[in-house]
Amino acid sequence: MSGLGAAQWRGTFALAGREVRRVGSLWTQTILPPIVTGAIFLAVFGGALASRVGRVEGVSYLDFILPGLLVTTVASQTVANSATSLFQAKSEGYIEDILTSPLRPSQIVGPFVAGACVRGLAAALGVGAVALPFIGVVHDPAVVVVALVTAALIFSAIGVITGVWAETFDQHSFVASIVITPLALLGGVFYPAASLDEPWSTLTRLDPVYYLVDATRAGLTGTHESAVWLSLFVAALLAVALWLLAVGIVARGWRLKP
Amino acid sequence: MSERSAFALSVEGLNKQYSDGTVALDHLSLAIPSGCFFGLLGPNGAGKTTLIGMVAGLVRAPEGHISVFGHDAVTEPATRLLVGVAPQDVHLDRFLDTRDVLVYHGRYFGMTKPNALRRADELLETFDLTAKRRSKPNRLSGGMRRRLVIARALVHRPRLLILDEPTAGVDLDLRHELWSYLRRLHGDEGLTVLLTTHYIEEAETLCERVAFIRGGRIVHEGSPMQLMERFGEDRLEGAYMKTMRS
Repeated sequence: MSGLGAAQWRGTFALAGREVRRVGSLWTQTILPPIVTGAIFLAVFGGALASRVGRVEGVSYLDFILPGLLVTTVASQTVANSATSLFQAKSEGYIEDILTSPLRPSQIVGPFVAGACVRGLAAALGVGAVALPFIGVVHDPAVVVVALVTAALIFSAIGVITGVWAETFDQHSFVASIVITPLALLGGVFYPAASLDEPWSTLTRLDPVYYLVDATRAGLTGTHESAVWLSLFVAALLAVALWLLAVGIVARGWRLKP
Repeated sequence: MSERSAFALSVEGLNKQYSDGTVALDHLSLAIPSGCFFGLLGPNGAGKTTLIGMVAGLVRAPEGHISVFGHDAVTEPATRLLVGVAPQDVHLDRFLDTRDVLVYHGRYFGMTKPNALRRADELLETFDLTAKRRSKPNRLSGGMRRRLVIARALVHRPRLLILDEPTAGVDLDLRHELWSYLRRLHGDEGLTVLLTTHYIEEAETLCERVAFIRGGRIVHEGSPMQLMERFGEDRLEGAYMKTMRS
């Protein structure tokens, strides 16, 4: 590796370290709240409503909604992390320190994605730990890990794009409330897509969150509507496309450089 | 990175028009000899900060050519290692303490952690900030923040130091203090310094060469003495005022 290449990788790891450190130092804002929210969801839906709803797709309602809760936790926390961190760096001006460095665009995007993934996956791990005493045996842990990591990559890239795009705090919050929440709610978290009438069933199948939830559900319970490979393939394609978009806009300097 | 040119900075035919139609740079050409303390003087909106932004990579890829010690500043990322920038506005990462602001900057620029730590401590000492090493930047006085920004620009041992109005809004004592730091840096480390300032006496005191910029073009350039002689003035301020009013 050339001297420059080594220098750039050291810089990339330093920026990733800074992002992870930010998540850790703000754990009461970054890790704790989604775990508490997840626990409340599990208590209300899995505890209070489960007995009335009965079994869904052959599993208890708690087992059925847990995969969706894990995916939505990862989605919301990764978007929030990368979008907020980049937006703050931009609005407070210290992004200049990064933009004047020799880091390549992918080496700038990567660390923000890494910080977001750490937050999203740590929060999901917390929610999973809370649910652990109430669920059965995990059917295929590897599928769960792959699905959640892919979800983290997708939504942290969306967060990077949001952070670069947003010029005001309102714009920064807009994506979470107008894009992420509806995607999560329509992604088959609380219901099987097959149980819906048209056009909702088709719309649900166009929602990428659906594939992530379905793959995670396959890994946790063995129950799924779509082929697991198809779900993971769709999700991986989306992750690659969003990564390339995020790197592309940083390379172009869109909304980062006049 | 090797020095391929006797010029620390060379720009040719640089143009920049912002999206609102403002022409910030208009076929600007400039060459700063290696090791020179160079002053760039001009009114607000003359193009000083845009020029600096282009050299530092803070403004989108320009029309024209920029080379730093003979290396293309746009296509060769390694050029960034040769340049240190202290921007006009003080922006410091609020999640880091004073020492870590320097350490992380060094690491973003490819220094190993032990080297960055050593260099940070050295610069904290040089800029009288050692006692504040664990303070967050927002707990520092305005003068300390200014010093920290200049120290940050120096962490990775650049060969070209760019200071965009480093003494804007600071009191006279601190201004003189910063002058002495800058003289020492230039003298001891042989740095090339590009300084923009609105204080003409600052440029007259510190700079070996000076350029007047107006409307995105360099209109006059020379040593302070040459410019004073050219305009028949005994102070650089007189030459500057005549240029800006012509």
